[in-house]
Amino acid sequence: MVDLVWFQLLSAALFVIGLYGVMARRSAVLIVMSIELMLNAVNINLIAAASHMEGTGSFANFDGQLIAIFIITVAAAEVGLALAIILRMFRNRSTVNVDEIDLMKW
Amino acid sequence: MQWAWLIPVFCFAAAPVIVIFGKFLPTKGAFLSILAIAGGFVVFWFVFGSWLDADAATKGCFTSANTGMLSCDYERSWFNAGVIGAVGSVSLHWGILIDPLTIAMLGLVTFVALMVQIYSMAYMMGDPRFGWYFAVHSLFAASMLTLVLADNFLLLYVAWELVGICSYLLIGFWHERPAAREAAKKAFIVTRIGDVGLLVGILLIWRDVGSFSMLDAFEAVRTGAMSEGVATASAILLFLGAMGKSAQVPFHVWLPDAMEGPTPVSALIHAATMVIAGVYLVARAFPLFEAYDAVPLLIVAIVGLTTALMAATIALVSTDLKRILAYSTISHLGLMMLSLGAFGYTAAIFHLMAHGFSKALLFLGAGSVLHSTEFQETGEMGGLRKVMPLTAIVFSIGALSLGGIPVLAGFWSKDEILVAVNDNRNAAFIILTLFTALLSALYMGRAMFLVFFGELKDQNSHVHDAPLAMAIPMALLGVLALGFGFITFNWPGSFNGLGDFVFFGHAEEFHFEVWLGAVSIVLAVAAFMFAYLAYAKRSISMEATRSRFSGVLKVIENKYYFDEVYQWVVDKVVLVFSRAVAFFDRAIVNDIIVNGPADITRKFGIALRLHVTGHVYTYTLAMALGTVGLGIFVWVRSV
Repeated sequence: MVDLVWFQLLSAALFVIGLYGVMARRSAVLIVMSIELMLNAVNINLIAAASHMEGTGSFANFDGQLIAIFIITVAAAEVGLALAIILRMFRNRSTVNVDEIDLMKW
Repeated sequence: MQWAWLIPVFCFAAAPVIVIFGKFLPTKGAFLSILAIAGGFVVFWFVFGSWLDADAATKGCFTSANTGMLSCDYERSWFNAGVIGAVGSVSLHWGILIDPLTIAMLGLVTFVALMVQIYSMAYMMGDPRFGWYFAVHSLFAASMLTLVLADNFLLLYVAWELVGICSYLLIGFWHERPAAREAAKKAFIVTRIGDVGLLVGILLIWRDVGSFSMLDAFEAVRTGAMSEGVATASAILLFLGAMGKSAQVPFHVWLPDAMEGPTPVSALIHAATMVIAGVYLVARAFPLFEAYDAVPLLIVAIVGLTTALMAATIALVSTDLKRILAYSTISHLGLMMLSLGAFGYTAAIFHLMAHGFSKALLFLGAGSVLHSTEFQETGEMGGLRKVMPLTAIVFSIGALSLGGIPVLAGFWSKDEILVAVNDNRNAAFIILTLFTALLSALYMGRAMFLVFFGELKDQNSHVHDAPLAMAIPMALLGVLALGFGFITFNWPGSFNGLGDFVFFGHAEEFHFEVWLGAVSIVLAVAAFMFAYLAYAKRSISMEATRSRFSGVLKVIENKYYFDEVYQWVVDKVVLVFSRAVAFFDRAIVNDIIVNGPADITRKFGIALRLHVTGHVYTYTLAMALGTVGLGIFVWVRSV
């Protein structure tokens, strides 16, 4: 069995890549994709921990799997919403570059 | 007698009706005003009659322990502040106090106001604001009637200010003329200075007695509950208000300027409403003035004498007919004050009424002259008795009455003042009073002879006499100026003279000091003779006298530089101080204290808002760093 720490390293790497994508990308679509990446990094972490600690401690009742499935559901809804917003944004401003969409400031 | 409050209410009601519905009514509503004051005059006789029938057993009536007169007091609660009867609560009343002083004033005010309004019907005919004139006239009379009826100081103060605002409106009636506007403002502001004193005096009494009621205050003085200091201070403060209204030195400056108003208004102000309010106030609050050592009365006497003397000298050199009369009023108000200051209560009220009738007559006569000739300068007149005989006769009656020619009203009242001054004040007072009497006869003679005697100028040949509506009031007032003096005697029957009706402390017998009477007759007759020779016959040339006394004359002709002194004080003291205060307000209060914190907050906000970039990744970075920071914090804590 693969050691838990490798899963956690993979999860952390995916999460940081996602975070970098959210901060560095200018396209709203890519930012949404990066957010998906971060969510999936969390899922990997949860599933790995759950399967390694099955039957012990607080992970006894498949909590990790449950939360992961829940996250996938929410993420699907979130993508739908985000893409709809991006579509409206493109219709109104003819761009999806977030640098040009800075109305939420003084 | 309880219904005496109807007298002012008639007039109060007439004023708004004329303003609102005036233009739909015949004569623009003026008849309403005349009806109201005539109604007041009728009710006055009923009040007078029921007072004569009343005695101490009548409801609300009692013999005043202070004045000894039968007084009747009717009051009704106005409103209460706080719990009734509890400490610190105030209950205010509407109330009317009817005693002979009030009755005398009611008669004078209603009668003169009625005469002046009838006269105004003709005088103001064709004026674009005819209705407004009568509305304010009504309000003016109503305020004055409330003032004399009030049984508490608060109501008196309200009426007092109403009188002030009405005089402001009427003096500035022709407000298209800058001089009228200035005069109206001057009258209002100068009397306000005195009114501050009045208000402080009233509050001082209220603080000491706990009530605004005059009777309570007088009772407190009589029983000694009010200390000497409070009584003296409040009397002097009240007198300050009286000085403003009654144009005593140094607050007299507004009255001559008030001549900018229509002439009937001057008649009303000088005879019935405005200026006698001060004399009335001193008479009404006499128990305060006379309490303890009567120090305030000495001040009243000195101020009165100074005013009388000073105004008489100015009247002697003035060339404007209305201004001569104005200074004559100031002088006679001074005499009334002097009389009160010399314990001559009856004499002062007698002179107030005699002067009221005579001066109303003189002003209506002067109005008739101005109406016909359109001149105010006496130099433009002369010989007018040939073209306006009736006006000449009534004006002469008024002038002779005020000048103190025997059997006319003014002679008897002035004689009573002389007796009072002689009895209660020292020799300097009586000599100066006699001198004032001489001057008074001289300037009245001068005005009369300059206007009606001598050569008729060509420019005045078209002049006509007064129309009927103006002639009748003048004739009625003329009869009073002729015969009013006789009420001072003990007539056979129940009437024992004015001294038995209006008095302070005890009824006063009519008495006649032979030497004083003789001196005053000689002075008055001599003055009129001299005036006749100098101004009608022109057989005595005044040029030599004028050049000899040119220095003194210059001072007098400049009215003792009172206006200049006021101007200097306002320019150099009031304005400089105001500017300093304004600077303090703008630079310190406004810029630093008020705007300072706002400014700091604003600058802080400008600096702070820069962190809101509007870029999502900035927020994300902050969030990530925050999470990392939080993680480190938790980790460090747990180790």
